[in-house]
Amino acid sequence: MSELIGVARPRIDAPDKVTGATRYAADGFVHGLLHARLVLSSDAHARIRGVDKAAALAIPGVVAVLAAADLPIASTGTDRTSEPLAREEVVFAGQPVALVVAESEAAAQDGAEAVLVDYESLPPVVDVEAAMEPGAALARTVAETDEESGDLESIHAGVDHGQADDPQEELSGNVLDRITRERGDLDAAFAASDAVVEGTFRTPWVYQAYIEPQVCTAWVEPSGTLVVSTSTQGSFVTRNELARAFDLPLERIRVIAEPLGGAFGGKFALVEPLAAGAALALGRPVRLVLTRSEDFAATNPASAQVTHLKLGARTDGTFTAIEGRMIVDRGSNAGWGVEGITSSLVVGPYRWEAHDIRGYGVQTNRFTFGAYRAPGAPTAAYALESLLDELAGKLGLDPIEMRLRNAVVEGDIGISGNPYPTIGAVQVLERIREHALWASRDSLPDGEGIGFAAGHWPGGNEPAAAVCRVDTDGTMTVVTSAVDMSGVNSGFAVVAAAAFGLSPDKVRVVTADTSSGPYSGASGGSKVMYTVGKAVLRAAESAREKVLAAASQELEIAPDDLEVVDGVVQAVGAPDRSVTVEELAKKALRYGGRYEPFEGHGGSAQTSGAPSVAAHLSHVRVDRETGEVTLLRHVIAQDVGRALNPALVEGQMRGGATQGMGWALFEELGHDEDGRLLNGSFLDYAIPRAEHVPEIETLIVEVPAPDGPFGAKGIGEAPVVGAPAAIANAVATAAGTRLYELPMTPPRVWKALRS
Amino acid sequence: MSDTVAFVVNGEPRSLEVEGRTLLVHALRDGLGLTGAHIGCDTSQCGTCTVLMDGRAVKSCTVLAHQADGRELTTIEGLASDGELHALQRAFVEHHGLQCGFCTPGIILTAADLLARNASPSDDEIRHALRGNLCRCTGYQGIVESIRAAGAAA
Repeated sequence: MSELIGVARPRIDAPDKVTGATRYAADGFVHGLLHARLVLSSDAHARIRGVDKAAALAIPGVVAVLAAADLPIASTGTDRTSEPLAREEVVFAGQPVALVVAESEAAAQDGAEAVLVDYESLPPVVDVEAAMEPGAALARTVAETDEESGDLESIHAGVDHGQADDPQEELSGNVLDRITRERGDLDAAFAASDAVVEGTFRTPWVYQAYIEPQVCTAWVEPSGTLVVSTSTQGSFVTRNELARAFDLPLERIRVIAEPLGGAFGGKFALVEPLAAGAALALGRPVRLVLTRSEDFAATNPASAQVTHLKLGARTDGTFTAIEGRMIVDRGSNAGWGVEGITSSLVVGPYRWEAHDIRGYGVQTNRFTFGAYRAPGAPTAAYALESLLDELAGKLGLDPIEMRLRNAVVEGDIGISGNPYPTIGAVQVLERIREHALWASRDSLPDGEGIGFAAGHWPGGNEPAAAVCRVDTDGTMTVVTSAVDMSGVNSGFAVVAAAAFGLSPDKVRVVTADTSSGPYSGASGGSKVMYTVGKAVLRAAESAREKVLAAASQELEIAPDDLEVVDGVVQAVGAPDRSVTVEELAKKALRYGGRYEPFEGHGGSAQTSGAPSVAAHLSHVRVDRETGEVTLLRHVIAQDVGRALNPALVEGQMRGGATQGMGWALFEELGHDEDGRLLNGSFLDYAIPRAEHVPEIETLIVEVPAPDGPFGAKGIGEAPVVGAPAAIANAVATAAGTRLYELPMTPPRVWKALRS
Repeated sequence: MSDTVAFVVNGEPRSLEVEGRTLLVHALRDGLGLTGAHIGCDTSQCGTCTVLMDGRAVKSCTVLAHQADGRELTTIEGLASDGELHALQRAFVEHHGLQCGFCTPGIILTAADLLARNASPSDDEIRHALRGNLCRCTGYQGIVESIRAAGAAA
């Protein structure tokens, strides 16, 4: 019933969400619940001399004040799982130092304010470039142990980690990771270029700004099982992190991923070790709901980045050489950084004759870096696509035509040395080139501009499994453990319905917990529909085979001559010879029944890639008096493989583009010279509001992914990648001058207009 | 130091004991189990806790429970009547006005206030009315379309 694919239909979770029936992780009632509040470090870099708990413990209702040594942590690393509360050394302002647990939220708050922490200040490392210099002060003086640091990097994208380190460059101990990606003769390629452009682009720390703050509730069952009910992108990865932290067997931990109020890469095992540690220490249920201020200060925003890039091309627009030096501010994250992803994606979906890209992951005393939708990609695309417009200008070429000349197609060799799989770069660029807005770019009023940019995301893979179960009412239940971050459950329903032969409104999707659910990796990296969706497809096919076997006996027709249409099994070409799935299920699922239950298990282990390319047109107006940028209109074209539910696909495209508008114009987490956060609230940190966001037109391009379910692929990350660059290119046109730093706030634009 | 406050919530008289500092959102969530009013910030910017007080949208994190004494409150749980979804709820389902859903109750109740005063708002008026509500998922377009459709349907 593949006619079900590609039809816009409401999300399956929408009715509960519009009536307040959805219970998010902060909403469940738990008997005897204690409430936790964090004590955050006021210093960016300091040694903890002591934590004075006495005043807090004297407050009525306060049950305990827990410092690092009070949590039953077995793991010895300095990652956030192993060190959820700072042990000896504080490495960013906002790092949790203690946890106050009380009978009420109000008492916990009062207690947190009464805890006195004695700090011995250490020099804060806040300038990422200075931090790299040999002899620079170190952002962490206690040496990192060789403790395994979990499995959080591989979640996010299917990129390799480059070639060997470059041993020649002398750098400080703050440089935790160096990546070299080289191919071809760079000098010769630049020498053979007719135009060369270069620039240094700066992007700030940016906050995921999910509207539901991070939250976790944990308790220990009488049997000894640790139960964790939480807002997370991955239940199994959280379970594994908790097992590592507390040295517990996997079967003693049950992680329940509750409906997610937004995450965008930021919800991975940050609050769970705190709530679970307190519950294990105290033997009572503990809930930790971060306040928004805590969420800003204590979580894991996207890295600031400095990208120096140099590009060359010939007069006909053929790209020759690309040279990059990309510095990623990891903050205190010693485990991983986006230097691997950003140095891979900075070449764009284009062919180059030679490349030499260096990536550096540098520790500082700012936050702990975390993933944010297409981590490392918007920053790379901002630098690349800005310079490509400069290159097109120098060569007198149409910016889209020039990119089309170099756009990769299947079989072209990518930066990792592997051939590209099916990729829709050409189709997307051609589609947006035809849009009327692009044709109007030379006939705009003064102060307006239209910019173009593209961006891509490689997708990712992880084995996954799913179960489909038919009940005696003829409905189907799909069970996976994939967290529904972007609407995947609604997609699973359509995939299962189409593969089985049932109306999608007869399909229910359940997100199971780690005690009983089929395996699924975390939701991230734009891989869930491609991998778990494939498992759902196979599970539904397997359930269908069992239904056909039963129907074959009932109708005395060979299974190959039967089909399932809208819940009815019928003879191909003779639909009057039929039996409903409901009737068959009633015969199977009963005492003395003769048929195996109609349940299918499906798995997938995708190895092929399914990259997604998106391109944007941004129409802006720049106020020359104030420097304010107004977004007038936005168009996005994206290759989505196959749009299982176009309404949800468009929602991802618009949401991604809008987050790109935040990168471009509004969002920047700032620190003072001591490394203290300056704007840690929605009062001071601006995300796009309804009045800022223009009409966003969506152009869905479908280049089916050969291995995806019905050709679908992961699509959540690609739409954010090129959006900041498109807006930057529009602003450069409108203002007549280019900015080399995001966000393009009125003061920066005003200054650029006058320089 | 607790006192009794009494109000009508979703058509039913309710009373509960609260401290002087208790915010309405905490009274609704913790006292009455009405968890459709969400908490998304601590500076009254996000709008996820919006409820109707005497028919007007208020952020229940900026109202003390005591200030609601004697008032009539509508939360997202009380917007549907006799099992029938409110026109706004239907529109948000049909016009894809939500993704994660966390901001949705506050936005629907803000829109209910708007439509009560202006049944056919322009898109600009809708976007202006939403200036106190943040959504990070949708890019707002589905929300604006949903509110416009609900206004037209009423």
